[in-house]
Amino acid sequence: MRELTATVLENKEIAKGIYSLTFASEEMPAVRAGQFVMVEIDGFPLRRPIAVCKAEGERLTVCYRLKGEGTRRLSSRYSRGEKISVLLPLGNGFFVAEEEKKVAIVGGGVGIFPLISVIRAYAESKEIYAYMGFRDRAAVCMQYEMQRAKELVIATDDGSAGYRGTAVQAFMEDFGRVQPDVVLACGPLPMLRALKNAMAGRNVPVYVSLEERMGCGVGACLVCVCDLTGGGHARVCKDGPVFEIGEVEL
Amino acid sequence: MTDLRVDLCGVELKNPVIPASGTFGFGREFDEIYDISVLGAVCTKGLTLEPRLGNPTPRIAESRGVILNAVGLQNPGVEHFIAHDLPWLKTKTRVIANVAGKEPSEYGEICARLDGLVDFVELNISCPNVKCGGMTLGIKPENVENVTRIAKNALKSTPLIVKLSPNVESIAANARAAEEGGADCISLVNTFTGMAIDIETRRPVLANNTGGVSGAGIKPIAVRMVYEVSRAVKLPIIGMGGITCAEDAVEFMMAGASAVQVGTRNFTDALACPKIVEGLGKWCAAHGVERVSELVGTVKTNG
Repeated sequence: MRELTATVLENKEIAKGIYSLTFASEEMPAVRAGQFVMVEIDGFPLRRPIAVCKAEGERLTVCYRLKGEGTRRLSSRYSRGEKISVLLPLGNGFFVAEEEKKVAIVGGGVGIFPLISVIRAYAESKEIYAYMGFRDRAAVCMQYEMQRAKELVIATDDGSAGYRGTAVQAFMEDFGRVQPDVVLACGPLPMLRALKNAMAGRNVPVYVSLEERMGCGVGACLVCVCDLTGGGHARVCKDGPVFEIGEVEL
Repeated sequence: MTDLRVDLCGVELKNPVIPASGTFGFGREFDEIYDISVLGAVCTKGLTLEPRLGNPTPRIAESRGVILNAVGLQNPGVEHFIAHDLPWLKTKTRVIANVAGKEPSEYGEICARLDGLVDFVELNISCPNVKCGGMTLGIKPENVENVTRIAKNALKSTPLIVKLSPNVESIAANARAAEEGGADCISLVNTFTGMAIDIETRRPVLANNTGGVSGAGIKPIAVRMVYEVSRAVKLPIIGMGGITCAEDAVEFMMAGASAVQVGTRNFTDALACPKIVEGLGKWCAAHGVERVSELVGTVKTNG
């Protein structure tokens, strides 16, 4: 975990309202699939937590949705050649056990980006079955990366590309045939809740990556907590963002 | 080479820079980023006798130049701190235990438990995010004096810092009340109560509706309050409120602070505190200041 100043290589819109930011540093530490970075935005007191999409040696790519003033500033202020302060790597990340060969990944919205880091990390060593949900055809992006999975199903709410319906629905239709050893998911809360309900009693481990407004990003300030089903809180930034689905209240 | 050491209630700090309560946990996480023994002291997350779960999320919001938080004193309880964090933290630097309670007697109990174990106790009578205790005890001067006296009576060997709320009629009057109650030091300011609304949903951003405002935007108010308190009491002062750089720390010291706390800036820049320590040395050297403590209270106000 360290704070370093990186150089922006690219910061461009890859789908409507979705940006891909790539930066590089000679001091870039190793980053695992599912970890995140805190990105400083000039003039804003809070850094923005963004999941890692691609880690390639000295280069790191994160993708974000334009949501408010901060992300708009991030998209306009940091063009190629600019310096950007980043705190990384943060959080526990996704972990796939040696004996888990068939890995299903279920993503929705900007939740697909940390799952791309999973595809990149495990495409060679595991069988990856990817179910990626988008609002519509215009929102679909990073298909080239997703196609490295053994099987890929793109789902859109309106059916304008691929499967008509949600990523969870598409995954559950295939569940009996695929019989995954483990399921990794990231997406909006309603999606994660639907997945939790659908997977109840199936005896397959499911890990979800959560999102929360953060302060420090390193586990000190206790701003980004989630409720544990057994009582008490966990810190999304430090104990997560990835949790076993039964461990957390969604 | 500037002498950055400061004396606070007879306790020497290697420099006047202290991360503020609630932004730094018990120091372990930031110690993964830099060696926190470079800090003058660490002020802990607010501690209570029993563990507390705190408020629902979202607990943080941002507005221009400031943030709002409503964590609500989530902490593992004082016993957990003493057993698991304090022994390690003491090997690093001076320890200020920030404490809170539901009622004055709880402040007495937690102070008695920490007496002699930590370098300072900082009384949190100014947290705006909990329903009882916290700020309700910190508004009226007579309550400030009462809870200070109870805490002071429980502390036989550890100096007592009273942290003041800015959400009051007269911060100078409350500082005098703390002095009257036996405080050894005053720290200020805690956060200003505020609110941020998401205009799309017409709902407050914070689950708690309101929260404490901190960050660079509050600095001039905090400097003014430190100045007022320095004129009102003889006690040493720890100043805080929007410090982002060494020059801000110098400003607080000139206003009357013997040491400073840095809070929100730790979120913007995890290395903020060590940068401020380094910057203070450079500023003093460039300005012919041999000892940083020479700066305290040197503001020359206009007639």
